[in-house]
Amino acid sequence: MDSRQIEELASQWLARRDGADWSDGNQAELQAWLNRSTAHLVAFVRLEAAWKQAKRLKALSNGVPPGEVPAPEQWQLTRFFDKGGMIEQRPRSPARGQGRLLMRVAASVLLAVVGAIVWYVSAVRPDHSTPVGGVASVPMSDGSKVTLNTDSQIRIAVTETERGVELQRGEAFFEVAKDPSRPFVVTAGGKRVIAVGTAFSVRRNGNDVQVAITEGRVRIEDANERQPVKGGVDEKLLTLAAGSVARATDDGVLVQDKPVPEIESDLSWRTGYLIFRDVALADAVAEFNRYTDRKLVIDDPAVATIRLSGKFRSTQFDAFVRLLEQGFPVRAERADDRIVLVSSRHPQ
Amino acid sequence: MGYRYLAGVNEALNDWFAREILVHEAALVRYLSRTWPNRDEIHDLRQETYIRVYEAAQKALPYAAKSFLFTTARHLMADRLRRGRIVSMEAVGDLDTLNVPIAEASPEQRLNARQELMQLARAFSILPPKCREVVWLRRVDELSQKEVASRLSISEKTVESHVMKGTRLLADALFSRKTRNKQTDGNEAIDIEEDSAHGQQAD
Repeated sequence: MDSRQIEELASQWLARRDGADWSDGNQAELQAWLNRSTAHLVAFVRLEAAWKQAKRLKALSNGVPPGEVPAPEQWQLTRFFDKGGMIEQRPRSPARGQGRLLMRVAASVLLAVVGAIVWYVSAVRPDHSTPVGGVASVPMSDGSKVTLNTDSQIRIAVTETERGVELQRGEAFFEVAKDPSRPFVVTAGGKRVIAVGTAFSVRRNGNDVQVAITEGRVRIEDANERQPVKGGVDEKLLTLAAGSVARATDDGVLVQDKPVPEIESDLSWRTGYLIFRDVALADAVAEFNRYTDRKLVIDDPAVATIRLSGKFRSTQFDAFVRLLEQGFPVRAERADDRIVLVSSRHPQ
Repeated sequence: MGYRYLAGVNEALNDWFAREILVHEAALVRYLSRTWPNRDEIHDLRQETYIRVYEAAQKALPYAAKSFLFTTARHLMADRLRRGRIVSMEAVGDLDTLNVPIAEASPEQRLNARQELMQLARAFSILPPKCREVVWLRRVDELSQKEVASRLSISEKTVESHVMKGTRLLADALFSRKTRNKQTDGNEAIDIEEDSAHGQQAD
């Protein structure tokens, strides 16, 4: 099949998915089609990127009444972009104003109905979890998306005033849809992490919570006292911007600034990889062990302090061990339930 | 269940692909067209280049995305020449002419937010009328396909076919024909209007 035919098919899939009755079965068919060849995948990804970008037309919709489509001549670029990029506001006629009011009433009725359904659905099935080694994407009713890392569990509770996610176990990455009227609140280990429209991860280990922000701002509070957790006199310390990694324990908060690309690469588990930059083998092994039931054990201090860098598939544990054996003075002793790493230089 | 495993579809990689690769589509197409004699094959070469880049990126993300893209395109053309597909060596000259000009492979200035919006507005404004209405109602007003159908008094099937066409035309306008050079903008726009004229469908 030639590339134009594939493009045609890809656009057909995209248009179908964009329609109303898109079922899990359809999604599986699409997935199968995409998996069949990279040619399908790249054609789809390209069209999807354009379709996503089209949503930003909203930025130009200022002054255009809802339901009305601007004519081509209204798109003379100067109209919108004359004044240093300021978008011109078109005065509204009173008739249109009334139409808008009606639309608003209709919209709020619709919202109430949708809200009720959402409440019902999330009350019925609010829990999502992943097994050890699994990664899953959970779309939320408000357009936000949660990506769950290995061995993790969340409970979603979306109400009219708040979009709540409880991180019961593990780690999750949140891409939050903008909705200033309903804060997005993640609770974990007695902390509340609050966002409006942003992207960040929360990782929980008992009551210790690590928050890494790649976009926007978030605030961390104590869940019980509803006030910023103790972390010094400066309250602003706990409003964190992109590039911050905060570790909140019961004793306080430690904030570290990192370049955003570095945080992104720390969050590479979302794509199934673990990336290490000059870390001790003991730390790398601890990361790997989150993804497998057959644990790696280091039985030698000389091995634990070996430093390494690299990018590995989080589930390809055996490949990691083989690479260690090839690249370092390390020998692996394999048992059924665990693999013990010892130094190959001075056998014990 | 309410979620799907991220088996085949890798969102972070797809975002990277859009951000680092697709933005260079216009330059890539220019390079391919200048080098390759047969215009009909440019689309295919472009997609084949994407396939190679995507498959490489699945293993490891290339650091210098743009030069990786052009190098991949060059290797692809060289491979096709060697396999003797379609063109003779005389038509293209020797493989050295496939070398990517430095200027083309160097990182280039990203568009700022305002320029991106201008580009989007331009892409939108050259969609055929009905298609443009559908895209607007669907993407800006976020009406469902069904609501768009009843608003425009057309069938849902027709709405779907406008969405199909809309995605393709928008992708071409945003990625392929986009230029950063004001003087060529007019020509590029005309180019697309010709395309979309025969792509127009009856309601």
